Amino acid sequence: MFGEPLAGKYLAWLFEGFGVTLALSALTCVVATALGFALCLGRIARPIWVAWPLRAWLSVFRNTPLLVQLFFWYFGATFFFPDALREWLNAPHAWRLGVFGIDWPPFEYVAGFVGLTLYTAAFVAEEFRAGVLAVPPGQTVTARALGMTRLQAWRHVLMPQAVRIALPPLLGQYMNAVKNSSMTMAIGLAELSYASRQVETETFKTFQAFGIATLLYVAVVVAIEFAGEWLRRRDARARGGR
Amino acid sequence: MDFTVVADNFGYFMLGAWPAGPLGGAALTLLLSLASALASGALGLVLGVGLSMLDGAPRRALFLFLAFFRAVPVIMLIFWTYFLLPILFGVGVPGVATVVVALSLIGGAYLAHSVHAGILSLPAGQWQAGMALGMGRWQVMRLVVLPQALPVMVPSFINQWVALVKDTSLAYVIGVGELSFVATQVSNREMVYPTEIFLFVAFVYYLLCVALERAAFAVGRRYAAPAR
Repeated sequence: MFGEPLAGKYLAWLFEGFGVTLALSALTCVVATALGFALCLGRIARPIWVAWPLRAWLSVFRNTPLLVQLFFWYFGATFFFPDALREWLNAPHAWRLGVFGIDWPPFEYVAGFVGLTLYTAAFVAEEFRAGVLAVPPGQTVTARALGMTRLQAWRHVLMPQAVRIALPPLLGQYMNAVKNSSMTMAIGLAELSYASRQVETETFKTFQAFGIATLLYVAVVVAIEFAGEWLRRRDARARGGR
Repeated sequence: MDFTVVADNFGYFMLGAWPAGPLGGAALTLLLSLASALASGALGLVLGVGLSMLDGAPRRALFLFLAFFRAVPVIMLIFWTYFLLPILFGVGVPGVATVVVALSLIGGAYLAHSVHAGILSLPAGQWQAGMALGMGRWQVMRLVVLPQALPVMVPSFINQWVALVKDTSLAYVIGVGELSFVATQVSNREMVYPTEIFLFVAFVYYLLCVALERAAFAVGRRYAAPAR
């Protein structure tokens, strides 16, 4: 049933795909965390002309399938771009930083990254918001009574506690980002699922192609789980030592 | 923006080729969601109760089983079921069934932990009181614990079901003619209106998810009220 092991060439395809999956998810997690934090700040802001549009924004991104969002960014979004930008996106170019050069990636990479990041950021924002709401209001009131400015109370009292509460669900969102990156295969981004499907069609060694890909996904999720456990221990030790 | 393409294909978006051909479009999305919701709910309940009642090696095995299904991307699991189910049953399995199996396994694995957490949220006194009345462990679970723990779990079930509705779009990868698949079909045929088509399809999914959320919370509130 398993047959001969996969030839080196096909293993290389799978690991190249894995590299793309790792790079895409890592970049997504970093940018989505920053963006999600900003969205959270806007969402809990007092003025309703800030909070309400963001509420609608988050609701739309959380309640539509990522696949459809990716199709939209890949096939549909260029409609809203000016012609010059559209041409620029489709043309190859490179950035030069001394000896290093970065090639502008093909459009499916840009669309995949934008789609995955905006989707993930919407979920990250809600995790941050839940963290902020979980801190008892007395904490901020007390900090203000001690003479801190609103900004100081936020920075030194509310945020550290909110981030600590939000960390476990945040790690869950990072795991989701890794798993969701597989959906970008639908717009032709050559990540791990795409590679496994390609190897399977070429070799008919379904068990090995899907098996290796599945194990690699599980390995990343387990690694994030361990990282979370390590952070928790370190945090507990730091707090116990005080 | 020219939404006539949506108006022209509206019937196809909603029902697929039905009644002349197989049911598809939004109706199939709804059907897939409903079947997966029921199956994942039942599976989550059984496995969650198992997680609470078992101990030792069987519990660890169940835990690993659940961890696996929570770690695998939905697309990979759909590939697996698409490939394995026909081998397992020795007959061709329709794509719709493949998707329902994959989504139910993943949904069930997530829900099992919600059910387990709901059961743990009850004070130990409930168990002790039940035992003191001479009930067995399973009797306490069925007659005392579950009736109180189920309303606690309603929000997790709703969240999971909304995620399910969105995940049915992945049936696209094995060519099941639900809403996303139909959308790409029309988009490929018409060539010129992808923006309008995908905006419209996103809007339909949005309505489905939000309606489900609203309805489920309304039902949940009514169901939870007499317990208080």
